[in-house]
Amino acid sequence: MARLLLIEDDAATAEEILGDLRGRGHDVAWAATGPEGAERARGAPVDAIVLDRMLPGLDGLSLLQALRGAGDRTPALVLSALSDVDERIRGLRAGGDDYLAKPFVLAELAARIEALLRRPADTRETLLRVGSLEIDLIAGTGRRGSRDLDLLPRELTLLEYLMRRPGQVVTRALLFEEVWNYRFTPRSNLIDVHLGRLRRKLEAAGEPPVIHSVRGIGFTLVPDDPAP
Amino acid sequence: MTSRMTDLVRSTTFRWALGIALWSALLALAMFGFVYWQTAAFLREELAETLRLEVRAAAEDPAGAAGRVETWIAMDRHATHYGGVFARDGARRAGNLVARPPGLARDGDAARVGATIETTDGPVADEIWATALALPDGGTVVIGHDTDEIDRVRATTLRAMGLGLAPALVLSGLGGLVLASRARRRLAATEAALAGIRRGDLRRRLPVGTRDDEFDRLARDVNRMLDEIERLLEEVRSVGDAVAHDLRTPLTRLRARLERSREQATSVEELRAAIDQGLAWIDQTLAMVTAILRIGEIEHGRRAAGFAGFDLATVVREAAELFAPLAEDGGISLAVAVADGAVPIRGDRDLVFEALANLIDNAVKFTPPGGTVRVGLAETGRGALVTVEDTGPGIPPPERARVFRRFYRAEPARGTPGNGLGLGLVAAIAGLHGFSVEVGEAEGGGARFAMLCPREAGPSRDAPFKTKARDPLSRVGEG
Repeated sequence: MARLLLIEDDAATAEEILGDLRGRGHDVAWAATGPEGAERARGAPVDAIVLDRMLPGLDGLSLLQALRGAGDRTPALVLSALSDVDERIRGLRAGGDDYLAKPFVLAELAARIEALLRRPADTRETLLRVGSLEIDLIAGTGRRGSRDLDLLPRELTLLEYLMRRPGQVVTRALLFEEVWNYRFTPRSNLIDVHLGRLRRKLEAAGEPPVIHSVRGIGFTLVPDDPAP
Repeated sequence: MTSRMTDLVRSTTFRWALGIALWSALLALAMFGFVYWQTAAFLREELAETLRLEVRAAAEDPAGAAGRVETWIAMDRHATHYGGVFARDGARRAGNLVARPPGLARDGDAARVGATIETTDGPVADEIWATALALPDGGTVVIGHDTDEIDRVRATTLRAMGLGLAPALVLSGLGGLVLASRARRRLAATEAALAGIRRGDLRRRLPVGTRDDEFDRLARDVNRMLDEIERLLEEVRSVGDAVAHDLRTPLTRLRARLERSREQATSVEELRAAIDQGLAWIDQTLAMVTAILRIGEIEHGRRAAGFAGFDLATVVREAAELFAPLAEDGGISLAVAVADGAVPIRGDRDLVFEALANLIDNAVKFTPPGGTVRVGLAETGRGALVTVEDTGPGIPPPERARVFRRFYRAEPARGTPGNGLGLGLVAAIAGLHGFSVEVGEAEGGGARFAMLCPREAGPSRDAPFKTKARDPLSRVGEG
C-alpha cells in the first residue's frame, strides 16, 4: 500500500493503469497534464511518481528535472511511447529512477513500482540469510539449511538479487537488467531456463520450493521456514 | 503556340543563342569597320602623297608652274583634278580653281577644304583635297583632287557592310533559334518524363540521346537514381506487405480464439486460458513491431548516446554464458573460445550484446541435438573477429546475401518460432558500429557468422553498412 501519483494524458491508458495499481492496493492520484502533475507532486508528498514522457503543457522530462532541481527525490518511473533507443538514457539523465517503454505489461509496471518502493536498504551486507537460504558473497558460497550449494557465479548473483527482495515479484526484464546488466528483451524462456537451473539446485535434496513463478511475468522468492 | 514562344524566349538555350548571334554580328561590324578605316586611310595617304609631289614639282619651277598645273588638270578627263596658280594678290593666273581655297595652309600638306571650281556650267562649290605652296614671287600654287573617290569607297564599304550584316544577323539568329528549339524539345521530353514521375509513375525514365553529351550523362545519372528509388520503394512495399502479413496472422488467430471462447467457454478458467493465449499472441505481435522500430532507429544512427569503451571479450563470454543452459537443455554443446585478456572496443555495449545474443540464439535454435555451437573471439590484423558457428543445416550460398534482409527466413527456419528480424537487427547494430557481418559455411556444413570489429570502428553514418546488403532496407533477418 503506497501513495502514488500517475501523470498520464491519455485517459484510457490512465484508467487501465489506475485500475491495475488500485487493484494491487495502492492509493493512486491521477494528473492528466504536466502543470497539474507538477502541482500535485509539489503538494501532498507521494511514495513514487509514474509519469509519461510526453505530456501536454509541460514535458515529462522537464517536469522531472524541475522536481529534482527543487530537491524532490521521490522515486520516479518514466513511461514513454517514444521508441527512440536513446530515450531511456535521456529519461534516466533527467532524474528518472526507472524507465518503461510503451506498450508494456501492467504487471511489469507494478513490479517496477514495487522495486522502486522497496529498494534494498543496505546493499553492502555480504552475508544474507532468508529462511533456510544463506549466502556469503565474499566467499561466493551458498547453503540451504545445512546443505552446501554448488552455485555458478551468475547463479549466486541471481540468488542474491532475489534474496534481497524476498516476497517481491521480480520480472524477467528486471532480472535481466539487474543481474546480467544488459538492456534488451531476451527470448522469454531464456531467463526461465536460468531460474529453473537455480531452482533445481535449491531443491536438489527434496526441499520445498523457495522460488516461485508468477504466471506470465516473473518470479518471487518466498522465504521458507529456516528450521529444516 | 504563344506560350511555347514565350517558353522559347525564356529558355536559357535561346538566350545563349541570341547572345552568340549578337556577339558575332558585333565582331563582323568591328572587322568591317577596321578594314574600311585602313582602306580609306590608305587611299587618302596615296592621294595626299600624289598631291604633295605634284605641288612641290610645280613650286620648284615657278616659271613652269602654270603649265604644270594645266597639265595636271588635263591629265584627268573626268574633271577630278583641280589646280591653280594665284598671284600675290590672289588673282588667278592659271588653273580651274576660281580662287585660292580659304584656310588652306601653304605648307605643301594635303587637307580637305572647300573650293570653288570653274566648270563649263559655271563655278561650282565642292569639297576637295588640296595642297598649296608659296611661289618665290609671293604667289601660290594649288594642286587639288576631288573627294568623290574616297567617298565612293566609303559608301561602297558601308553598303557592303549593310548588305552582309543583315543576312549574317538573320542567319545566326535562325541558327540560334534552331539550336534553342532543339534543346527545348529535348528538355520538353525530359520535363514531361519528370512530371510523370512526380505524379507517381516511377517507372518512367528520362530520354537519353545517343551523343553521350552532358545532357545524356545527366539523364543517365538521374535514371540510375530513379532505378535505385524504385527498388527501395519496392522493398519498402514488400517489407510493408510482410509486416502486414505477419501482423495479420496472429491477429486473425487472436480474433478467432476470442470469438470462439466467448461463445463456447463454459467456465472462468476456460476464458482465462483463452485470454492468456490471446495475450501471448499480442505480445508476439508487439515484439515484432518493437523490433521493426528498433531496427529503424538503429539504422538511423540515433543511438550515439550509448557509445562508450568496453571489453568485447567479456561481452562475448557473457552472451555465450547466457545461452549455455538453453544449449545444454537442447543437447547442444556450446564451446567458447575467447583468449584471456581484454579486447577494448568502443560502442554501445547493450546493442553489441544484443547482436551477439541474436547470433548465438539463432545458432542454438538451428542446431539439432548432439550438435555443437562454437563462439569465438580472435584478434586479427584488421580488428577483433567474433565468430558463431553451428552444426545445423547451414545457409545455402544463394540465400546468404538475403539472410540479412528483414523478414527473410531460410526455408528450414519456417517452422521455428521467430519473426525474421533477428539478423536484421544484427546487421543494423553492426552498421551503426562500422562492423561488418558475413555469413559463410562452417566446417561440417553449418552456418558461420563472422563479425569483424575494426579497431578504429565507431559510429559511422556516412558509410555505415559494410554488410552484404548496402541499403538500409534490405538487411538482416533470420530467427
